[in-house]
Amino acid sequence: MLLVPCPNCGPRNASDMSYGGEPHSRPDPNTASPEQWRTYLYLRDNESGWITEKWYCSSGCRKHFKLERHTLTGELRNPPLPGNKTGGHK
Amino acid sequence: MADPPAFESPVVTIGRAAGAGSITLTDESATTKASVRAADGTPAASALGLTFGCAEARGDVLVARTRPDEWMVFGTSQAVAAHLGGLDLSGYASTVDITHSRLMFRITGLAAAKAMAKVCSIDFSDPMMPSGACVGASVAKVGCDIIRHDIDDVPSYRILCDRSFGQYLFDALVDAKAEFG
Amino acid sequence: MTTRLPAQPNEVIDRSKPLAFTWNGKKMRGFEGDTITSAILANGEHIISRSMKYHRPRGVLTADFWDPNTSVQVGDEPNVRASHRALVAGMAVSAQNVWPSLKYDAKAANGLVGRFLTAGFYYKTFMKPAKMWPAYERVLARFAPGGKVDLDTPHGYHDKRYAHPDVVVAGGGPSGLAAAVEAARAGASVMLVEHEHDLGGHLRWGSNDDADALAGLVAEAESAGVEILTNSTVTGRYEDNWLAIAQRNHPIAVERLIKARAKVLVVAPGLIERPYVFAGNDLPGVMTSGAVRRLIAMYAIRPGNRAVVLTANESGDAAIDELERAGIEIVKVIDARTGATVTKASGSKSRVKAVTCSDGSIVDADLLVTATGWTAPTSLLNMSGDRPVYDPASARFFADSPPDNVLTTGGIAGDGNRDELISHGRSTGRLAAARAGVARHRIQAATTRATAVDGPEPAYPDDTRSPLGRDPHPELFRSTSHGMVDFSEDISSKDLFGAAAEGFDSVELLKRFTTATMGPSQGKLETVNTVAVLAEARGETLAEVGTTVWRPPYAPIALGALAGRVFEPVRVSSIQPWHEANGSTPILAGQWVRPEHYGAPQQEVRNTRANVGITDVTPLGKLDLQGPDVAKLLSQLYTNKWMQLAIGSVRYGIMCAEDGVVLDDGVTGRLGDEHYLMTTTSSGAGGVWNWIENWLQTEHPEWQVHVTPVTTGLTSINVAGPNSRELMSRLVGDDIDLDPDAFKYMQVRTGTIAGVADCVVWRIGFTGELSFEIHVPSGHGLHVWETLLGQGESLGVAPFGLEAQRIMRLEKGHFIVGQDTDGLSKAPTTGMIGLLKFDKDDWAGKPEVAWALEGDYPRIVAIQPTDPSIVPDEACQILREGTKDIVGRITSSRFSPTLDRAVCLGQVTPEFAGPDTTLTVQLVNGEQITARVMQHHAHFDPEGERLRG
Repeated sequence: MLLVPCPNCGPRNASDMSYGGEPHSRPDPNTASPEQWRTYLYLRDNESGWITEKWYCSSGCRKHFKLERHTLTGELRNPPLPGNKTGGHK
Repeated sequence: MADPPAFESPVVTIGRAAGAGSITLTDESATTKASVRAADGTPAASALGLTFGCAEARGDVLVARTRPDEWMVFGTSQAVAAHLGGLDLSGYASTVDITHSRLMFRITGLAAAKAMAKVCSIDFSDPMMPSGACVGASVAKVGCDIIRHDIDDVPSYRILCDRSFGQYLFDALVDAKAEFG
Repeated sequence: MTTRLPAQPNEVIDRSKPLAFTWNGKKMRGFEGDTITSAILANGEHIISRSMKYHRPRGVLTADFWDPNTSVQVGDEPNVRASHRALVAGMAVSAQNVWPSLKYDAKAANGLVGRFLTAGFYYKTFMKPAKMWPAYERVLARFAPGGKVDLDTPHGYHDKRYAHPDVVVAGGGPSGLAAAVEAARAGASVMLVEHEHDLGGHLRWGSNDDADALAGLVAEAESAGVEILTNSTVTGRYEDNWLAIAQRNHPIAVERLIKARAKVLVVAPGLIERPYVFAGNDLPGVMTSGAVRRLIAMYAIRPGNRAVVLTANESGDAAIDELERAGIEIVKVIDARTGATVTKASGSKSRVKAVTCSDGSIVDADLLVTATGWTAPTSLLNMSGDRPVYDPASARFFADSPPDNVLTTGGIAGDGNRDELISHGRSTGRLAAARAGVARHRIQAATTRATAVDGPEPAYPDDTRSPLGRDPHPELFRSTSHGMVDFSEDISSKDLFGAAAEGFDSVELLKRFTTATMGPSQGKLETVNTVAVLAEARGETLAEVGTTVWRPPYAPIALGALAGRVFEPVRVSSIQPWHEANGSTPILAGQWVRPEHYGAPQQEVRNTRANVGITDVTPLGKLDLQGPDVAKLLSQLYTNKWMQLAIGSVRYGIMCAEDGVVLDDGVTGRLGDEHYLMTTTSSGAGGVWNWIENWLQTEHPEWQVHVTPVTTGLTSINVAGPNSRELMSRLVGDDIDLDPDAFKYMQVRTGTIAGVADCVVWRIGFTGELSFEIHVPSGHGLHVWETLLGQGESLGVAPFGLEAQRIMRLEKGHFIVGQDTDGLSKAPTTGMIGLLKFDKDDWAGKPEVAWALEGDYPRIVAIQPTDPSIVPDEACQILREGTKDIVGRITSSRFSPTLDRAVCLGQVTPEFAGPDTTLTVQLVNGEQITARVMQHHAHFDPEGERLRG
């Protein structure tokens, strides 16, 4: 069971969290083509290496936040705070 | 007008086992409870203070900052009203009376943390969950808020959750503490 | 000669405590401290089981938890490992999978057809003709191995708990013990988990010095405050050192699962002695050196009378000394380090009688002891993501590079004498505590509720331990003859060669095709031999062949422990005690227990439409919304407009997901300037709250809106029927004006009901009757319900349940999201085209709904079967007449007491959606009926006159 570093609560069991997938910016609903809208709905980049993803601390602070995850090693870390160095994990 | 009717607890059946033994479990659901929502930087947030995850007694009320932008205030209805009455809600802050929507149990005893460890995955060791700490977590598969507030140095935890789970959660806690006599 | 030896210096049996038991019905006696196996052996019997496939007689092989030959039935408990389970007075022990008895097992006839029962025989035999398969199954089931399950066995108490130890040490031999001691002394909280009943590992059957050293270490562990769990196993390691520990020594629970988050895991499982593969190696009387040493030293059992010993290491050499001390004749010693070996053991069915050596000599013996090498139990390392590497010089696998928070010590890390192993364990414990300390500091610093940490985070300690050495060991896996490789699956080396020749020559395929390593011992004793035989077959090295991956559980765990005590949260409203006391039939709706009816749902419908009915709708989702931007949120989430909703007014809305699919529906009312109350469907309550939070936090953090769920804080009662206003007037305070002009349909008021303040009343109507939905602070819910019943008696009030409500809403054609819509139903399907406001700038799902309108989409329609008495089952298909083309389905269906006929809602393609279209409906039994599409969704009172009264 993964230990997920919630930026508010500290490390918590993954079962206390909900996974939100890759963040995608929402196109303008009035001007987006079907291809653009459906890319937003369904397509994911799924890259190898460090990716950013959304998490929700559903049992704890109930805040949405972003984490960085390395898709090969499974390592999780908090993204860099503005002006600070990356928050570490492990 | 007649007296308002008595408060009905969500726990319909409280057996003898609840109060018996080295760990006691009591139902305090009738306590007045209020929730205050306020973002950092608002006057209400400054007035209520506390770090996220911390609670303290202030006169007749217990104030807990259960979320980064949410506080709970417990006590008698007069004390809670008094505490919230003076709050500046500008910028933006709001209050909701959650007396009826949340039950509140209290589990007290030297081994109370051990009983909690049977139903909750949080680390209840003293450094991680000292008296005055609060956390949101699943207890027996029900989403709860847990506030540790010791009584005379005896560990004591208040557990709050949605009212409808009342009998189920109470029974689950009685069962969890049975092992410890 | 009796098989029980005189008192041994470190025996674990207590001769002052005899215990009576039975073995296959025969009365026997053992001592406290005996395992079931040692007690059976002490009574002169040596055959304990019959093998799985060929039913060959089997005796002790390893005399420990992994012994594949000693699974027995104890009372109603099957598959008990007799070489580990402690003997208890009164046990009724019997052999498994034998008929009629262990001695005369008729199924041994399998041995005669052995040629046809080679590995994978069930893929090739008993296939055709297919119609014989049920008969084959019945016969084959009789031959399935394993004990008997008694379905009436009372449930034991199983349990789970969580733990957060700084250090978990898996394995309580000398190294593990020493590591636990030092970690605890360094201030870590330590859990030491040992598989056997006692700590000590191989020190338990060693010298007197070993025994003294063990006693000292145990005392150190106890005084250091180590939490010691014996007869327990670390059975799985998951991400971030999440451990599954099966605890079997609990005073109350039969077996308890501990889910532990350890900061550092120390893996110290020792080494498992491997059997040797040669002809006759599964005859009773052939056993490992460890078995012999344990039987003699711990249980004072004479394993045989005339022994041949094949030794390649210290354990074999020590076994020779033990046998001699016990007065057993050593007929021949074969030192495998010189290249000599054993090629065959022969005997009668019940015991080995002679041993053939590689020098050609044949020796009479009733005991053949083998000490041919060690297998490293690398399970926990595999589970940590490590792929151990084979070292040919030492003939075993070693860890490669486990993560920083997993450390190895003891035999799995290398070799050494007792002091060297202990010293390595101590340094490991210190390192473990130091690394755990850094992790603890980091976690505490990141957790705001925790006590503040002292100072900055310490540096992460490097591993500066002196490593253990690696003793050379000859590679001994298979002799020159074929023998058993997997004893619990009856797979011989010949079977493995055969499978490889058939093309199953990768180790993963070989395993699955032959089932080698898939039996009860799960590879502990047979993985390396299997790999070695495959390497021979392929002409490669072990390293080139590779191994299969060990997965959890490491040792069997009771299903009861995995289940623990069952937590099934149940939700009830504050009125539930009344429902239970008054004959309600409960129905489970999600986690809610609700009254389905009170005996006669059709009568409940009639009474509500004729007089007045009340129903408990507390599970209806309710969200309190406050803030200056609530209207913006509502506009964003609902398809219709909300910016001009007046205080005291209510509006109905549909919510879509971003793909245009209907997510939820409900009414929202404005209670104050910046205060609204939203209702959702009962099953959607949690989901809609999450949906709202998602929008507020990620898309519009600038909006000032606060959302609080009050679903259960307000007990909700729907008061419906022609007399509902009269009934309400008997309860409301002066602060609620019920006059129809003052309180119109689709409006909301707050005030006092039955003396309870802060109630909310809506005029809405799911049932289609004049109705008031009241929301009462739940601490007074039951009071208000009972007051309604009391005050309404003269008005004909009666409660109605969920079923009656569903009938009435269906009579009115009100669709239910998730019942009449599905996961593909976009908003236009509901028919509520007027609620889709495209002149609004933005709402969830807007583009998809627009595109849906441009094409074909299914329509919800009201349907009435031509024959009014036929009520089609929900989900019955609607077909194009004369074909099998599906053009729709029935989504809701009931018999209407109001109209005295069946009424339905369904989804159909646009072609079939026109009023008066005739539909062909196929019932569940295949029969087809006709039905008619109705003009309106409402079967009854389509103008809604009753509602607006």
